Amino acid sequence: MQKRNLWVSATKILSRRLRSTSRFSTNLDPKLQSTKVISCSFHHAGESRVSKSSYGGNIFLANYRKNFCSLDENSGRCWNCGVVAVSKPFLSCDSCKSVQPVHASVDYFQIFGLEKAFEIEDTNLEKTYKDWQKKLHPDLVHMKSEKEKEFAAEQSSRVIDAYSTLRKPLSRAIYLLGLEGIHVDEERTVSDPELLAEILDIREAVDEASDSQSLKQIQGQVQEKLEIWSKSFESAFNKKKFEDAVTSIQRMTYYYRINDEIVKKL
Amino acid sequence: MAEQAYTVASDSETTGEDKPTSVYPELAIGIDIGTSQCSIALWNGSEVQLLKNSRNQKMMRSYVTFRDEIPSGGVSAHLSHEDEMLSGSAVFNMKRLIGRADTDPVVHLSKTLPFLVQTLNIGVRPFIAALVNNVWRSTTPEEVLAVFLVELRAMAELQLKRVVRNVVLTIPVSFSRFQLTRIERACAMAGLHVLRLMPEPTSVALLYAQQQQQLIHDNMGSGSEKLALIFNMGAGYCDVCVTATAGGVSQIKALSGTVVGGEDILQNVMRHLLPNLDNLLSSRGLGEIKSMVLLRIATQDAIHRLSSQDGVRVEVDLKNGLNIYRILTRAEFEEINQEVFGKCENLVRQCMNDAKVHVGDISDVILVGGCSYIPKIRSLVLGLCNKEEPYLGMNPLEAAVCGAALEGAVASGVNDSLGALDLLTIQATPLSLGIRADGSNFVPIIHRNTTMPARKELIFTTAHENQTEALIAVYEGEGMRVEENHLLGYFKLVGIPPAPKGSPEISICMDIDASNVLRVFAGMLMPGVGRPVHPFLEVKMPTVDDGHGWCTEALMKMYGSTLELHTSQKKMP
Repeated sequence: MQKRNLWVSATKILSRRLRSTSRFSTNLDPKLQSTKVISCSFHHAGESRVSKSSYGGNIFLANYRKNFCSLDENSGRCWNCGVVAVSKPFLSCDSCKSVQPVHASVDYFQIFGLEKAFEIEDTNLEKTYKDWQKKLHPDLVHMKSEKEKEFAAEQSSRVIDAYSTLRKPLSRAIYLLGLEGIHVDEERTVSDPELLAEILDIREAVDEASDSQSLKQIQGQVQEKLEIWSKSFESAFNKKKFEDAVTSIQRMTYYYRINDEIVKKL
Repeated sequence: MAEQAYTVASDSETTGEDKPTSVYPELAIGIDIGTSQCSIALWNGSEVQLLKNSRNQKMMRSYVTFRDEIPSGGVSAHLSHEDEMLSGSAVFNMKRLIGRADTDPVVHLSKTLPFLVQTLNIGVRPFIAALVNNVWRSTTPEEVLAVFLVELRAMAELQLKRVVRNVVLTIPVSFSRFQLTRIERACAMAGLHVLRLMPEPTSVALLYAQQQQQLIHDNMGSGSEKLALIFNMGAGYCDVCVTATAGGVSQIKALSGTVVGGEDILQNVMRHLLPNLDNLLSSRGLGEIKSMVLLRIATQDAIHRLSSQDGVRVEVDLKNGLNIYRILTRAEFEEINQEVFGKCENLVRQCMNDAKVHVGDISDVILVGGCSYIPKIRSLVLGLCNKEEPYLGMNPLEAAVCGAALEGAVASGVNDSLGALDLLTIQATPLSLGIRADGSNFVPIIHRNTTMPARKELIFTTAHENQTEALIAVYEGEGMRVEENHLLGYFKLVGIPPAPKGSPEISICMDIDASNVLRVFAGMLMPGVGRPVHPFLEVKMPTVDDGHGWCTEALMKMYGSTLELHTSQKKMP
């Protein structure tokens, strides 16, 4: 817990150091900061592929990279042509095609036009992601102003984070709780002896599995468990029983790790 | 001379004062410098066009001949390739040598080349020389590439009747960031500004994306997302990529690549035909060079013929009393190159694994590069992807340069009224980036195949009681141990307040921005204090120069494990 607080403040200090006029660092939504914190603990656990949001961090770097300031965040108008924002979320101007600065108040679900819920229709996720990138990617504003290039770099990497966060159920669940101001400490080891025994058993079975068929069988079991705990997360979250939701996430983490190991062996 | 020109060009680039100011930015051209051949292409307003040299060739040999005062490259040279190779004055295969230390096995393999490659095996740049008037005159891979690039540039300028400055270059997936700086340096020496360095298969992915878009325009495509596996194997490198394309956007799902190519196949066959090849190499007299070249030419020819025949007759008089008269069968050829094919197979498997795609989801298998003509390679890759036929819409030798030309047009902000340039490639990091920690372990911070731009951070801690300084050594690669990876740079973090080992929190953060520039941030956070103890350090990588092998040695000798870091992690059961 202490580590997390440290991180938040370090980021703040850095932003301040690098850009004294920073409005973002001070206005940064505390809920979103906590998602960044998760990213730290996650990577630092040495776990690999789950690419996590490091939103707060990106802001820090964006601030550092450029000294643009006085962004009229809440005007609801395009910074370039002044047209009133029509599209929601307003990441890029429909009229002059300019990339807009990042608004911390727009969450990942809004970027993808989704309800703030665990179950999402992910059939369109990749398409929306690509549509955004076509409007926002820094490669496409190569000849535009330095200011807009910065906006593009930020917006684009934010959309990447949003996409990779929402695409996977586990990171999506953690992000959802983050929006509610709940931090999930994935480092905290679960003390439930039953679960620990079960995990050990599965690990052993994975180690001993000699052919892909038996591995696939174990994977089937793990995936069943994942489904159960995903359901349990969803219902806990919907009932705002956040503590139960955190428990579900911790279990999901274990099962996902085992699943990754199985995939590696397959 | 060239060095000076480089400094000036570089300075003006960083200040940005030299940027074209006209309303119509200069259209960047695409260049594919292959290990053996190279080509140049650009968007001509309606399509991609390959430029031809004065001998009407679209594919030009990547080599430079040193003769008298002025070196000349394969773009304009009038002598035939073979004759020049015989003399020892031609230097080629530079793409295999650039940015490599003399301890690199690839450099050692290059000793069969008919010019001088000398190694001291201490981790410095190898000594390369061409024979000019019976004197071995030294050169560098950067210089050879620069000479070559200048010729390409002159050729393009003559045909386009304008100044050519901005370029998009294709590079192998396995190139380290240090090697990229060497390529950029060669470009700067040639007066070229690198707009983008594209991993070769991603450039092919862009061309594929454009072709899929065209199909939709012509009402033939479905418009839904298509997954393609791109296998690109040339003379020097083999690269694989999985791309997901929809609406002109290609997302690079995974990349894999290694330094294996036609050159390795050629050497295997040469050694098979002449088992005591290395004896021949040791003296490096004129006669031996001639024999070596004759063998090389005969072998190359045999390999080409084996793509369409089951067996070929190899008859060559190597002079010095050496003769080869025999039949080489395709089965024999495949047998002696088993290791090469095995490496290709691993790359394809790894790439599909990393991309997390199922074989059944792959719509197209794209085979490009000179080695894609080898029957065994074709059947191997198609077999792994469970496909009968490869994708047929591309010329295997021109795909990479065409993609680079498209990227050049897109990056220059060129619009096409028909939407043919409505394209975007979302790149992924080809290699993992991390630091040395827990002894000589490599701890990745940004894993390979992370979508760019990217930023990741990791917390480390001290390895010793009251340790006040830490050495941050940044590496790139996939090896578990740092020795297996490329050193990019190093710096020292000082002023860690004395504390029990394992308690300080040291944050290492890596950032790759939209222009693919890597920055490493390092700083120290004390538990309970909640703020950095000192200002963070920011280091742009790579910082190493040619003696990077030596750096590693020196660092180890000076500091050993005294400035070591540990990962700060509580493991789950």
